[in-house]
Amino acid sequence: MKSMQDLTGKRPWLAALFFVATVAVGIGAGLLLSSVATRKAEARFAYTTRTDIAADESRNEIWGRSYPLEYESWKKTEDTTFQSEFGGARNTDLLEKDPRMVVLWAGYAFSKEYNHPHGHAWAVKDIRKILRTGAPNDTDKGPQPATCWTCKSPDVPRLMAKMGAADFYHKKWSELGPEVINPIGCLDCHDPKTMALRVSRPALVEAFQRQGKDITKASHAEMRSLVCAQCHVEYYFKGPGKYLTFPWDSGTSVEKIEAYYDTIKFSDWTHALSRTPLLKAQHPDYEVFQMGIHAQRGLSCADCHMPYSTQGGQKFSDHHVQSPLNNIANSCQVCHRQDADELRRNVYERQRKVDEENIRLEDVLVRAHLEAKAAWDHGADSIEMAPVLALIRRAQWRWDFANAGHGNSFHAPVEIARMLAHGIGFGQEARVELARIFAKHQIPEVAYPDISTKAKAQELLGMKMDKLKADKQVFLEKVVPQWVRAGQEREAKLPQ
Amino acid sequence: MLTRLFRLALWLRPPPGWRWPVLGLIGLTLGLGAVIFHQSKAWSYLYDDPAACINCHIMVPQYTTWKHSSHGRDVTCNDCHVPHSNIAAKYFFKAKDGMRHATLFTLGMEEQVIRITPPSMAVVQENCVRCHGNLNHPVGTDTATVARAMHGDGHLCWECHREVPHGRVNSLSSVPNARVQLEARTIPDWIRDTLAHGGRK
Repeated sequence: MKSMQDLTGKRPWLAALFFVATVAVGIGAGLLLSSVATRKAEARFAYTTRTDIAADESRNEIWGRSYPLEYESWKKTEDTTFQSEFGGARNTDLLEKDPRMVVLWAGYAFSKEYNHPHGHAWAVKDIRKILRTGAPNDTDKGPQPATCWTCKSPDVPRLMAKMGAADFYHKKWSELGPEVINPIGCLDCHDPKTMALRVSRPALVEAFQRQGKDITKASHAEMRSLVCAQCHVEYYFKGPGKYLTFPWDSGTSVEKIEAYYDTIKFSDWTHALSRTPLLKAQHPDYEVFQMGIHAQRGLSCADCHMPYSTQGGQKFSDHHVQSPLNNIANSCQVCHRQDADELRRNVYERQRKVDEENIRLEDVLVRAHLEAKAAWDHGADSIEMAPVLALIRRAQWRWDFANAGHGNSFHAPVEIARMLAHGIGFGQEARVELARIFAKHQIPEVAYPDISTKAKAQELLGMKMDKLKADKQVFLEKVVPQWVRAGQEREAKLPQ
Repeated sequence: MLTRLFRLALWLRPPPGWRWPVLGLIGLTLGLGAVIFHQSKAWSYLYDDPAACINCHIMVPQYTTWKHSSHGRDVTCNDCHVPHSNIAAKYFFKAKDGMRHATLFTLGMEEQVIRITPPSMAVVQENCVRCHGNLNHPVGTDTATVARAMHGDGHLCWECHREVPHGRVNSLSSVPNARVQLEARTIPDWIRDTLAHGGRK
């Protein structure tokens, strides 16, 4: 075989051709390299925010500049027009709707005012307005700890990152009034850099840790429920430091949580009539949802409460968090082919049946509380009353757990009906015990009082509502505007 | 074999005066090649990790829609988009598709709305049947092929199962917020730092 030298010696054009070909390959390679570099740079901008969002940015409108679709849909949580049979967004006065609750919460702040929840955008305004938070002023810091702010605002993770959760909880609610002005929003669930879902409240992380679970291993689908579970859960304020704690150490069922509270001998308050050391359930939405069929089929909260939506051909997750009954097309009908009316009927059917049990239990409990009061008044002693109070505690815990959740009777109708049935059983057992005490002390029968309205029920308990409302009015007119002004002045100094 | 290689090397040997420049050029070429190999993450194309498909960002909508779908848990891109009849067919198809993608992308010729090509359709349809053939044998999916569908004889799986697995809305312009979170952290640093000592700084 001839050497290349010989070959090109006879045919010089072959060398030229080889040269041109290698130049072309070189150009191609260079082009590819520069394209890879350019495209990599492009990718960094294609999916990043338009403006940098600070690590502790609690102003939702600043996030809204980069995420207009999500922000605009979040703004719709201000809308209060929707009403379903048992819920809605109207902030309905539930004590007026069902005045038995006033008696059930006698001696506790919930008997002052209790409303159906509003959308997220109302969180800060509502907590200032509600009678339960009292009327703090210059001399009186008011009844509630700062722990009450924990779930109301993206200002909370901002403050906690600065002062630590323990010191945050330790303050009074009124002390942080000027700091907390933005309602539940972006920073509560998102990482400002990557926009990934993120748990911003330590209580949930700590609860996972105590159960031996690592929340940092949660999948994206789980995170679509866990960001909700930062707040929509049963909780209590632990110890004098009012440390926000989830009672999940041995499990999340109504019995397991009750056992947890019994073990640490915890009670939220002592009932003003029956003197029962009672538990107040908060809103165990996440726990109850887990016991229902939708969770068992792998759905997350966001699947129905923040369904995918399109606008102008752009797909995004609807941040108008609300009852799926107001958006059946995008929530239920993604899986269920039935028409909207039929699906709505299916929901109401379950809710009505659960509500029947609920009202029965409430009647039993109102009677039990009043009869227990009569027993005390006629000289029954604490040894006689101990089994009665234990039964009332168990019955009322089940009633409250079933009631406090926002969508319990839909999320897990069978579980809720079960706990209400147990509650009725315990309540009636308490009344059997009471009947024995009545016979022994010859106590006359207690008439069921007229509690047909909230006002009558509150009057029965001797509550001075006029004073509470007048104080609140002064607070709303004098103190709150100062908080808002201070907060706005602080924010005005931040980068706009 | 070795002697033949040696003879080839002899044949390729440049004239003595050119040896050093040629060696240098070969070195430059190899170096440049290595940089390209590294920068373009070329090794990742040899494996099945779906992250390789978003080396170039224009496939991000397809990636995220898949990741959120019922196929997102256990099924990779390659399970559907390359043939599995034998390993040679798999890598030949990968190389062919890859060359096409690289060429279009380098020259800036990619479409805003990426659509599947007919050869790719045939592969996907085969792969639907490959996994689901047993599940739905009463329907007789084995006979559903692109060739037959093109002649108006029968349909392809996704003509009815239109949301599988990428949804209907997945172009570059329609899902600008489809971010890829390969390393999402579920809690902020300050919570992690205070966990050990009861929420105290």
